[in-house]
Amino acid sequence: MSAKSKSRRHLPAIVFIFLQFLSTSLFAQDAGSATPAQGEELNAEMVAAGETLFNNNCKVCHAVHSKVLGPPLANVYERRPIEWIKSFVRNSQQVIESGDEYAVNLFNEYNKTMMTPFDFSDEEILSIIEYIKSETLKGPPVEEKVTVAATETTVQEQGISSGLLITFLVLLLIILVLILVVLFVLVSVLTKYLKLKAELSAEDKEIVYQELEFGKFIKSPGFVWVATFILTAFIFKAVIDGLYNVGIQQGYAPTQPIAFSHKVHAGDFKIDCNYCHTGVRKSRNANLPSVNICMNCHVSINKVTGATEPSVEIQKIYDANENNMPIEWVRVHNLPDLAYFNHAQHFEVGGITCQTCHGPVEEMDVLRQQENLTMGWCIDCHRKTEIRTDNGYYDKLVKIHAEKSDKPMVVEDIGGLECSKCHY
Amino acid sequence: MNKGNIQYILLILIGVSLWSCKAKNDFPGLEYAPNMYHSVPYEGLSQVTDENAGKWLSNREDGLGEYYNSNPNNPFKMNMREPVPNTVSRTEDGFLPYRIPKDSFALAGRILTNPLDSTAAIVSEGKKLFQIYCVHCHGETGHGDGPVGKVFLGVPPYNVGRVKDLPEGHIFHVITKGYGRMMAHGSQVSPEERWKIVRYVQVLQNQN
Repeated sequence: MSAKSKSRRHLPAIVFIFLQFLSTSLFAQDAGSATPAQGEELNAEMVAAGETLFNNNCKVCHAVHSKVLGPPLANVYERRPIEWIKSFVRNSQQVIESGDEYAVNLFNEYNKTMMTPFDFSDEEILSIIEYIKSETLKGPPVEEKVTVAATETTVQEQGISSGLLITFLVLLLIILVLILVVLFVLVSVLTKYLKLKAELSAEDKEIVYQELEFGKFIKSPGFVWVATFILTAFIFKAVIDGLYNVGIQQGYAPTQPIAFSHKVHAGDFKIDCNYCHTGVRKSRNANLPSVNICMNCHVSINKVTGATEPSVEIQKIYDANENNMPIEWVRVHNLPDLAYFNHAQHFEVGGITCQTCHGPVEEMDVLRQQENLTMGWCIDCHRKTEIRTDNGYYDKLVKIHAEKSDKPMVVEDIGGLECSKCHY
Repeated sequence: MNKGNIQYILLILIGVSLWSCKAKNDFPGLEYAPNMYHSVPYEGLSQVTDENAGKWLSNREDGLGEYYNSNPNNPFKMNMREPVPNTVSRTEDGFLPYRIPKDSFALAGRILTNPLDSTAAIVSEGKKLFQIYCVHCHGETGHGDGPVGKVFLGVPPYNVGRVKDLPEGHIFHVITKGYGRMMAHGSQVSPEERWKIVRYVQVLQNQN
């Protein structure tokens, strides 16, 4: 290996070390010039006290390294004099009204959001600043990035494991086919060899020339009958299955105007279904959320987990919000007008979970119709599902039912199979 | 023998063609008697703006497609419509329209009182509602550590600092109109439900 290529190989490492050296020296210079006390050790007690104060009071609107509602506080003790910080914390409005240029600019930059006044003592403010100092020196947290990376790898691992299974099965199939081919080749070579040999007994000949009889076997009426039967059965099943698909939208998973993922919202972030589908508890319809409900969270969340760029899909919510346009979601579950269904009755009164009818929505990236929503499917559930009796409403009925039957009271027993319950 | 073969082939073809009627992705599947799937009256949650949709079987007097289901008089031809401006919604409990301006938190805290008592039943109902509408940001115990809260940032714990002593009217006002980063949730929970949530939030404020 030549010296040239060696040095080229080490180049990234050298550059990295150089950059690191540069940044640390710059940082040291910066910090050194701003606060002479930098070299001193931080007061651990004050840091602890400051941390509690910060978490209890400031954390709502401030983070040390990122913008929340207010500005990031890292290096605030270098940006502003301590006295200014004290007066701003105690009464920011007064500082702004006094015409302090920095305060006015800050106020305007953060959409004229008023900071809540805090009646802290000098000592408390100093300990909070001490805490901010210690956090500033620690640098931005890398924790978040690590968790993101971890989730990504688990996703990949899952993908790999199912992918592995499929490749394994395919390999197994290929191996089995190869074994079959090899066996066939062996058999044909051996029979050829045996045919060439003259001295064969009658029994041996029968075995060697067996294939001729195989042709006869195929044409035998017994075989033809069985084969026809199996074939007809298969075709019959296919036709019946096909007919059952007519008018059933099971598996329908339309493309939506926004690539909304129930898996992310209901699965990963555990947002209750009712948060967005506000009608489920109160009405016949589950309701689709209006844009303001999307904006409750997306007012500040504009990126997909782990992404650095704002999401194109989330931008569509902002466009709809700004232009006061409805988002035209495509309806997935559709019952014909001739059947009445009430969400509140099932969810709020009956205590049926959403997943019973809608399937594992919290695992679906694209929502699909999981169940077939036929009348038979409804009736089947009404025959099996026990009535919720803990609300006292059915007490008398339960008593009467218990007298004549030893089985629990199901929906069927209170008229759940009556035609006019759903068709009227 | 030939005749038999043709019959089989026909059967196979029918089977295959029926199989393709199955719903998949954007295709909702073959519809038997399509009029049953497409609502004649205005449907709040499904809207068909294409005037030619289902024209092949249409016998509508206006000559539009059978599936067309939109209200041309509404903005964006929507089937649902917002209430007329200044409509006052009335409830059984006689809650009046809420008129306190968005930024008057102190005023709300001073003048609003909870009409519901802090009974075990109310608190448990409040908890149920809290777990639907609040928990993903504010966390099970109101420490601001819900899965969304961790990403959203700036969710305060209920039981320490400034938030611990906030009066019930302030909490009610925040749920209704929002505060800081939190957006208004008045459209999702009724006034009565808000007061129930307030009762449960007060339990969380007073925990250690």
